[in-house]
This record gives sequence, structure tokens and C-alpha cells, in this order.
Amino acid sequence: MTRHMPAAGAAQTATGATPAPPAAARRPPRRRRLTLRGRRQAVGALMAAPAVLLITVFFLVPLGLTFYMSLNQWSLLGAHTWIGLENYTRAFSDQGFRDAFMFTLEYTAVITPILFLIGLGLALLVRRPRRGARFFQSVYFLPVVIGFAASSFLWLYLAQPSVGPLFDIFKALGLADENTNWFANKGSALLVVVASITWKIVGMQMLLLLAGLQSIPVEVEEAARIDGAGRWQTFRYITLPLLRPTLALVLVFSVAGSLLAFDQFFIMTNGGPNNTTITAVYEIYRVSFVQFQLGYGAALSVLLMVVLAAVSAVQLMLLRNTDHN
Amino acid sequence: MHFKKLGAVFAVLVSALAIAACGGSDESSSEEAASGPATGEMTIWARDAQKVFMGKLVEAYNKTHEAQAKLSIIPSAQFVQKFGTAAASGTAPDVASIDLVFLPYFASQGALEDISDLANGLTYKDALSPAHRRLAIYEGKTYALPFTAEASVLYYNKDLFRRAGLNPNKPPTSYAEIVEYAKKIRALGNDTYGFAFAGACGGCNVFEFTPHIWASGGDVLSEDGMRATLDSPEVTDALEFYREMFEAGVMPPGVKTDSGSQQAPSFSSDKLGMTPLGAFAVSTFEEAKINFGVAPLPGKDGGTASFAGGDEIAIPIGSKNKAAAREFVEWSTSEEAQAVLAGEGIVPVRTDLVDKLYGSKSPEYKVLGDAMKIGKTPYSVVENAIFNDNNGPWIKMINQAVFTGNIEEAQRTGQSAAQALIDQGT
Repeated sequence: MTRHMPAAGAAQTATGATPAPPAAARRPPRRRRLTLRGRRQAVGALMAAPAVLLITVFFLVPLGLTFYMSLNQWSLLGAHTWIGLENYTRAFSDQGFRDAFMFTLEYTAVITPILFLIGLGLALLVRRPRRGARFFQSVYFLPVVIGFAASSFLWLYLAQPSVGPLFDIFKALGLADENTNWFANKGSALLVVVASITWKIVGMQMLLLLAGLQSIPVEVEEAARIDGAGRWQTFRYITLPLLRPTLALVLVFSVAGSLLAFDQFFIMTNGGPNNTTITAVYEIYRVSFVQFQLGYGAALSVLLMVVLAAVSAVQLMLLRNTDHN
Repeated sequence: MHFKKLGAVFAVLVSALAIAACGGSDESSSEEAASGPATGEMTIWARDAQKVFMGKLVEAYNKTHEAQAKLSIIPSAQFVQKFGTAAASGTAPDVASIDLVFLPYFASQGALEDISDLANGLTYKDALSPAHRRLAIYEGKTYALPFTAEASVLYYNKDLFRRAGLNPNKPPTSYAEIVEYAKKIRALGNDTYGFAFAGACGGCNVFEFTPHIWASGGDVLSEDGMRATLDSPEVTDALEFYREMFEAGVMPPGVKTDSGSQQAPSFSSDKLGMTPLGAFAVSTFEEAKINFGVAPLPGKDGGTASFAGGDEIAIPIGSKNKAAAREFVEWSTSEEAQAVLAGEGIVPVRTDLVDKLYGSKSPEYKVLGDAMKIGKTPYSVVENAIFNDNNGPWIKMINQAVFTGNIEEAQRTGQSAAQALIDQGT
């Protein structure tokens, strides 16, 4: 359910697996000393084996299967037939998927800066070991441990017309009347979802940025201040550049999570009003499990994965290149 | 070396398992057993909404039969997916209770056993709900027996009727009367509304809105399910009827986005005049102590119709105890089993028994029982994608027509999207 952080586990296991060296390539087995080295390599490979096995079973095999399914007309029940790339050509002329994809981009564009700015702001607030900093760290982080579905249901109730407490507050303030229904309008429905997601995961971003901030040596900032740099200047020219690796991580997680958004819209807006809030994953779900076309759903998943990989690669490259300058 | 040894051991193990599995299935699926009483265990799948009555039914069966049934409850929203996965991996149950609208799809995909001989051998086969029987047939063969029925009717609040100066024993019998009564009830007060439906729920509206179209002589699909008729004039009339009520302000604002969860609670709050729902709601309203009446859903100028909902009971391909499964499926349509269901407030599927087992309980049950007898259901392998999908063409058409008023355009886009799904799915 925690779709905003799926890359985290995969990335970690992936780095865990990379140390396995191509053992066969560098093994001249003549000298004893090198045999020792070979042995060490074997031990290394053995230690990496569980990770490799996990990746194979839970990532590579399903990935291969997804790709194979995407080349078939594959119904949820019954037999399947090979149709080559037909699912992919169909995807490019599918208005429903195109709309869903555009909406996903729109949602990502809206929520990424909001999460990032609030996350950074909170991290700066609780950064110094002032009194209560720990307490507020915990408070801001608390919603992160709630499941996506649970938090979506919570906000669905909060914002429900006529019965939700949030609705009552707005009504008391004169910002809503008895005919107001936030979920009946695309803009306000999106706003409710964005509010709920911000509440739900901004704590995670705060925590990551906080770790990045705390890894910056205090001396560097002190030196800058002694040189006469103001608060803003210190932040702009010292903190922010040193925070870049963390920023890259946070942005990649955040964007990947938003591009994979599903639960919040499935539960809170049902894709409405008038199917204007259907995300890419939501559309894949509908194709696969409402229309029962697993093959076509697999093709859409592959396309989404390609886009996701490309976006993440571009982000990492941009942030890494400037880092080297 | 080590690997080779391991491999050999593994191979032996696998073949041993395979032999054991074959032996097992050979024993239990022997067709000769069908003549005597069935034995052994069987698994039955049902959805969470059926938990209570299915439990009682299985209990009753196990008491009187040698074969023993074990019930598994699957969450409603995941039933089709779980069933599909199980069927594909050969772990399907012996018996499954399936929402009748899915029957054409399941049968068309070869997921169910052909039980034509069993169905045709029943002495009371013509007394079973005609809509259920129609949905169970695919290309001339029968794949399931009718199991439980559900009917859609108009619930109305008798107290509000009286307060609005209406006769509580004379429910509306045409579109015009529903509109007129809804306006009178709305006039009672700020938070009292005349009529509500679930404006963002596809499944609710195929159940509650199509009867208006049928009662007026129209339809949403052609008889063979190959042509959508969402652009027909009877659909226009029905959409205009809802649109008129929405514009008159007799519907609560929540209807626009209700995905089916608010309709019954609003009626239970004693502040809603009329709403279309099924038999399942009777017990809810009785518990809430609402003074309500039940009436058939009318057509434009009279006539009545109902959606035939409910379940059919089938034997999935790969059932490991077919003899017991056949016995259970047949027994579940018997008077004994149907009486257990009726006792739990479920509408029986036997038109010859419905008055005796169900309709005799109260006037409301009588109306529901009669509605079952005339119930209809759209037949299509893509029913789920057109009608039940909360983002599908059917609910999109209704939502757009009723809440924005652009009925012509809503019908046009709905029709072409529905037809595209039919063309793709077949």
C-alpha cells in the first residue's frame, strides 16, 4: 500500500547485489595467492546470493512475465493468444490511457513542489536541537506510519459533504454551504487529495531532508557566517549545494511515488467527477481487473515503467552533473 | 555433483507429488459416484456480503448429507480477480457462488463446468427465475443454476408522505408522479429531500435505473448483447426524469459523488422521501424503525420492471470433488435450501415458491417477490466494463446527463464507448 516508497527497497537490494564481481572473468587459477582471492570472491558471491535470489524471484521473473503477457491477448480467465506488439500500438491511440497519463503528470507537477517545500521547511524547523524539536519531529512523522488506504478513508470522511468535520469547519467559517460538495468538482477534489497526501507523507520527506541537513558540518556554516554571509546567503550558497545528493534522492522518491499514485484516487474520488481524476495506475487497474484484459494492462504497465525509469534517470543525471562542476 | 544429486532428489519428489495429485483427483471425481450419495469434502467460495446466510446454508447441508462442505469467504471487491487467479493456477474451489452478471463472461472463458444435464433434469426447471436461467446459458449450454435472487424497487417514507399531504398507501406509478411527490416532500423543510440515487455508482444504477427504461418499453442492450442502445428515446426519457428532479433541487448534494454508500443511510435518517434499492435494504430500514413502503419501479407513463440481481451457483473447471459439487448445486435450488435463504431475508429464485416462502411475510416482501418474477438482466460478456465499472460509459452518461443537463451529448458518447467495449470484448 505504501506506493510512495517502492523504489527504496528495490534500490537498497540493488546496491546490495552489485558487489558480486564477475568471478569467472578474473580467475587465473595458477598461483595460490590468487586462489585465495578467488575464494574470497566465491564467499562474496555467496553472501550476495540471497539478494540476487530475492531480486530474481520478486522482480526479474515478474518483470519478464509482465513483458511476455503484454505481447499476448490475455484475459483474466481462459486461454491467451500471441498478438505481438498490438497491445502497444493500441496504447498509443487509447484516449483513456492518454487522459490518465496526462492527469498523472498534472498531479505530480502539483504535489511535488508542495511536498518538497513543506518538507524542507519542516526539516529546517526541527533541525536544531531546541526544546521540543524531537517532539515535533515525531508529530510531523506520525502520519507516515498510517497505511495509504486508511488515511484516504479518513480524509474521505473528513471532507464528506454534510457530515465531515472539515466540511463543518468550512461551513462555520462561511467558506462552504449546504450544497457544497468538494468531490463533485475536479479542482477541489484534487485539492482534498493533495491535502491528504501532504499530511500523509510530508513527514517522510522531512526526515530524509533532516538527515541530509545534519550531515552538513556545522563548521562550514560557521565559516560562512564569520565571512559575513547572511542567513539567506548561507542557505542559498552553503546549505542547498551541500544538500544536493539528498535532494536528488527525495525528488526521485517523490516523483516516482506520485507517478504511481492509485489508492488515494481510487478511494477518495473514485476517478470522478466524470473520470477526470483517473491516474495511470488506476487506468491499468481498470483495464486489468474491470475489463479483464490482463495483456493490455501489462503493456500499459511496461510503458509506465519505461516512463518512470526515464524520468528518474533524467533527474539523477541533472542533479549529479551539476554536483561535479 | 552436489547439485546433480539435489536435482535428482527434487525430480523424484516432484513426480511423486504429481502422482499423488493425479491419484487423488481420479478417486474423487469418478463419475460413477454421482449415482449414489456423494462423499468427501468440498470447498465453496462466496463473497463477504453472503457470509451469514451462506454459513447457515452450508450448516444445513452438512447436517443432512454425507459429503461435507467447507465455506471460504472472499472479499466482494476481489472475488473475480481471486477466482480468475485460482482458476488459472488450478486451485479453483469445487463450488462458487457468482454474481449473475458475470456468468456470460465466466462461461465464455471456459472457467465453468457444463451442467446442462443437471439443469435440464430438474423437475422445477421452468419455475426458476427466467433472468437467471438466461444469464447461465452460453452458446446453448448451461453453466450454472440460479441460486439467490435480488430485486430493485422504490422505497418510500410513509411518514414523510403523510406530512406532505400524500396518501401513504398510494406510491407513485409514473415519472411525473415521482417528480411531483419528491417536490412536495422537499418543501417540508431545509434538510428533507425528495429523492436520492447514487450518482457515481455504475452497479447501483444498472440495478435501479434500467428498470425505468424497461418499464417504458426500452432497453440498454439488444437481446443478444451485441448492440448497445444507450441512445434510444426511452433512455432519453429516463435521464430527463432524473435531470428534472436534480434541477428542482429535490436531491441532496451528496448524490453527485455517491458511490453507493450514502443512499441507504440517508433513507435511514428519516429525511429522505424516496430512493430505489433492493431487498437487502429491508432489514436495515426495519432496524432503523423507518415507517416505509415498497413499490415497483414505474415506467414513464406506468408499467413496472425490476432488475433481477443475485447469484448463480456453479462448478468451476478443476473442481476436485465433482460428485459432491453437483449434489450441493442441485440441493441449493431445493425447497429446503431456498427456505433457509428466505429465512435470512434473501429472495428465493423459485417462482413457484416465492409467495409461500417469502412473499407471505409482509406486503413489502410480496412486492419484492413479484418484482423478482418479472426481473430482467442485461446479457453481455462485457457487462462489468459497461455497467458496473464506476468509471465506465454507463455511469458517466448518467452523471453527465443528470448533473450537467447535456443529455444528448452524454448519450452519444455513452453509446459509442459502450459499443466500442462490446466490439473489443467479442
